[in-house]
Amino acid sequence: MSRIGVFVCWCGSNIAGTVDVEKVRDEASKIPGVVSAVDYKYMCSDPGQNSLRNVIKEKNLTGVVLAACSPHMHENTFRKAAIKEGLNPYFVEIANIREQVSWVHDDKERATSKAVDLMTMMVEKVKRDRSIDDVKVPLHKKTLVIGGGISGIQAALDIANGGVEVLLVEKEPSIGGRMIQLDETFPTLDCSSCIMTPKMVEVNQHPNIKLYTYSEVTDVSGYIGNFKIKIKKKARSVVEKDCTGCGNCWNVCPMHKNVKSEFNVNLSERTAIYVPFPQAVPLIPALDRAVCLHFKKGGKCVKCYEACGPKCIDFNLQDEIVEETVGAIVAATGYDLIENSLYGEYGYGKYKDVVSGLQFERLLSASGPTEGLVKRPSDGATPKTIVFIQCVGSRDPEKGVPYCSKVCCMYTAKHAKLFAHKVHGSQSYVFYIDIRATSKGYEEFVRGTMEQDGAIYLRGRVSRIYEDEGKLIIKGADTLSGNQVEIAADMVVLATGVIPKKGSDKVAQMLGISYDKYGFYTESHPKLRPTESSTAGIFLAGMAQGPRDIPESVVSGSAAASKILGLFSKDEYEVEGTIASVNEATCVACFYCRRVCAYNAISGKDIKDRSGKLIKVVANVNPGLCVGCGACVNACFSKTIDVKGFMDDQIYAEIRSLSV
Amino acid sequence: MANIDEKLQKIARDLLESKEVSLIIGYTGGSHPQRMRPVFITKPEDVGRLSFNRHSVQDLAVFLKKQEVKKFGRIGIVVKGCDEKALNVLMQEYQVSRENIKIIGVECNGVIRQDLADKGETDLSENTVYDKCLMCGEHTPILHDYLIECADPQISMSGDIKPFAKIEELDSMSSEEKDVFWEKEFDKCIKCYACRQACPLCYCSRCIVEKNVPQWIDTNFGKIGNAQWNLIRAYHLAGRCIGCGECERACPVNIPLMLINGKMARSIHDLFGYKSGLDVDAKPVFGVFSESDFNDFIK
Ligand SMILES: Cc1cc2nc3c(=O)[nH]c(=O)nc-3n(C[C@H](O)[C@H](O)[C@H](O)COP(=O)(O)OP(=O)(O)OC[C@H]3O[C@@H](n4cnc5c(N)ncnc54)[C@H](O)[C@@H]3O)c2cc1C
Ligand code: SF4
Ligand code: SF4
Ligand code: SF4
Ligand code: SF4
Repeated sequence: MSRIGVFVCWCGSNIAGTVDVEKVRDEASKIPGVVSAVDYKYMCSDPGQNSLRNVIKEKNLTGVVLAACSPHMHENTFRKAAIKEGLNPYFVEIANIREQVSWVHDDKERATSKAVDLMTMMVEKVKRDRSIDDVKVPLHKKTLVIGGGISGIQAALDIANGGVEVLLVEKEPSIGGRMIQLDETFPTLDCSSCIMTPKMVEVNQHPNIKLYTYSEVTDVSGYIGNFKIKIKKKARSVVEKDCTGCGNCWNVCPMHKNVKSEFNVNLSERTAIYVPFPQAVPLIPALDRAVCLHFKKGGKCVKCYEACGPKCIDFNLQDEIVEETVGAIVAATGYDLIENSLYGEYGYGKYKDVVSGLQFERLLSASGPTEGLVKRPSDGATPKTIVFIQCVGSRDPEKGVPYCSKVCCMYTAKHAKLFAHKVHGSQSYVFYIDIRATSKGYEEFVRGTMEQDGAIYLRGRVSRIYEDEGKLIIKGADTLSGNQVEIAADMVVLATGVIPKKGSDKVAQMLGISYDKYGFYTESHPKLRPTESSTAGIFLAGMAQGPRDIPESVVSGSAAASKILGLFSKDEYEVEGTIASVNEATCVACFYCRRVCAYNAISGKDIKDRSGKLIKVVANVNPGLCVGCGACVNACFSKTIDVKGFMDDQIYAEIRSLSV
Repeated sequence: MANIDEKLQKIARDLLESKEVSLIIGYTGGSHPQRMRPVFITKPEDVGRLSFNRHSVQDLAVFLKKQEVKKFGRIGIVVKGCDEKALNVLMQEYQVSRENIKIIGVECNGVIRQDLADKGETDLSENTVYDKCLMCGEHTPILHDYLIECADPQISMSGDIKPFAKIEELDSMSSEEKDVFWEKEFDKCIKCYACRQACPLCYCSRCIVEKNVPQWIDTNFGKIGNAQWNLIRAYHLAGRCIGCGECERACPVNIPLMLINGKMARSIHDLFGYKSGLDVDAKPVFGVFSESDFNDFIK
């Protein structure tokens, strides 16, 4: 026989103001099986919880219903209290009479009657509750980090320093990501490579980090604690262990024209065998077979091979697949810039001296094509006047993206500042829509650009840019003064917005995590679980989640790391036991359930007799993957699959309790 | 006719003799000349019983769900175009595997309604065949390992007859009128479940009507239980029913089940652009999870 206790919470006046809690209590006491019904001011308070525990003990309760706030708030609190009295936590049910009743209704009488209904439903449900054990999944304590930008590097270092092995996979020949392309960084103007290279070197030397550059993850299966992954090491044509990074090979490579340097954003050329930049980590070149003469001309050119002392160039190296098992994954694939060509009116691609923000970083950088002297691409002359245009592509639902790219206001202020520092007597103009400078020190930084460095900020859009007698003529509006403006400049820098890295949607599909319509990975909860993906065991970091600057990327990398170290602090991962379960006797293996499961939690299981002969196949739920969403339950015609704690008979009883 | 039977028998004999299959499901003459009935042949010497004609109304795919039949492993089956669609759905739903089945397809230009045939009808015309035959788009089975040509001419359509005209008539009724119509029809139901037994796609080992904790469907006769059964049966066939009409033919009290099935099929096509049984590789319409679903309730 059920012995149910009902506890009606006032939540101060939050509930009691709109719901007649005494009436709810009295109605509860009339339901068969209810042996105790009480009301209390704050059930979640210590005395409230103690009274709950006392009643469980004294009345020897088999189930508990709390008519209180949302289970999101205190289900856990009450479950814990029940456990202390030896009651399985799944015998605790919550009737939400706050968010679903008192907060949304005014009429006390009708609200009370709804509260009684909800409470009654839960009493009927709890009568049919079964004890549920949480599922324990063993953890393979190794982590995969995808992407070697600052966010991935930070995650990898923190995890490795916590004593956990890390596999860091970067698709380019060197780690570093976008940050290593930057010159000095806002808001403190420390030089990017000075603060980045020590971290890159640390990654390379860390005993707990295994670095895979020029590599990609090609397959992921499994679930939290136990992901099986495949890493494709692209044929580098260089035997990594023998290479000393001396540079003889790339210095003799005849292909030093025509191949644009990705690192310098097309502002210079690179060779076919190359390191993207001098501080590359690892300092091992990769041979780009798409442009190498050896591969294009049937093996004729072997200059690099001849120049190489240790003879580590091997034209026959093949792609290699490495298989690993990891318990957690960080997706930190970073970003790209929006296609500037969408904005024909700005003349990008037509006029050499119209460049993107990232190109301007390279023009400022001491390791860049101009060795840090600001020179314009067309003729190498030092520009005296530069026009900066913000929000190119960002906040433009028509042609670009509707969101704000977040870093452009700041890097434009930085660009104007650095330009003023490097070219004395120069002048910059900045066209903007709004200035968004909200982090610590940011507003002051932008003010400084305007006030100390003399940048002229014009609020408005540029309508057209054209060339006239060696100058770029910028026509635009200054909406604050209401004037049309025309500026003759030597260069134009477009603050191009950011988009997710090309191919990140494919990565998401491979990982089975969700992403928004732009391709940014979505968080499990935007506020409360900002570092978790929609799939357990897969975490997110950096720009791959959405626009953010370096400090935020670092924070998110560390956040992912701390989540993973927390996860790995135990040997097993506990999953709520409220997952799908299959009645093997009635399953007919139609696998509609498998088709609709978004978490790939269902597979087929062979049922054999003692002699090993196959009797039938049935659906089988992987507890590591199932989240208990219940999609499968709806798909199953024979009502064979059910989610524990939400069984068919319970739902049915809840509904029936209403109609009588 | 004899020609068809000879071809059928030869195929069957070859299959059985070569042990490619251990059972052939086909048709043979029934209780009177205008009736055919299913036959199960396991020995090459029995293939002479196999026959096919315009009275071969049954969808033999229904037998594939039977344990007694499954036991045979590799099976040959005689199917018309409409029946073959049932095989396709069974394959989509993992109930039948293509390797274990030899499809002996027969082209068909229509079968004579059994109620008329029992009264002696032998003429194949727009007035004597089932509505499904008038709308048939698969006179030739989509998948087949063998194909036997049709002996009957194509039916000529005068344009006066509109198949399933009742569906449109019902569509134009008010909800109340529809209620009255269906209540009257369902009221006749005796819960014999012949519709389910006759359906090639009702293969659950425990039908939802047999689930008793909780009892979702009231098994007594009564307004609610009858409506529950008939609607849930239809709903479980939505997007799956291939329109063979066996349920309606089996119903002892003549409930026009094909009106429901037909209406469902139309709605599924209008809403999802899906027709069942045409493509073994298609995802069943109610078995799709898509990130880009236009509904945003499950993301
Ligand atoms: C012009 C410009 C100037 C900026 N200036 C500043 C500044 O001054 N201060 C500041 O705080 N922020 C600045 N930012 C922002 C800063 O660049 C980013 O916040 C930061 O680089 C984000 O780091 P990340 O690791 O998330 O991404 P990324 O740096 O993009 O790194 C991602 C890495 O993942 C790799 N990758 C991608 N896909 C795969 C895959 N499938 N497999 C393996 N590897 C993969 C990429 O190759 C890359 O190495 C600036 C941005 C721009 C555009
Ligand atoms: S949908 Fe139901 S019957 Fe079909 S395989 Fe899944 S659990 Fe089994
Ligand atoms: S409850 Fe959801 S996650 Fe679990 S098996 Fe069913 S559909 Fe998949
Ligand atoms: S519901 Fe009727 S018409 Fe549809 S497949 Fe089943 S028996 Fe054939
Ligand atoms: S065959 Fe007819 S009478 Fe029998 S259960 Fe089906 S609808 Fe009812």
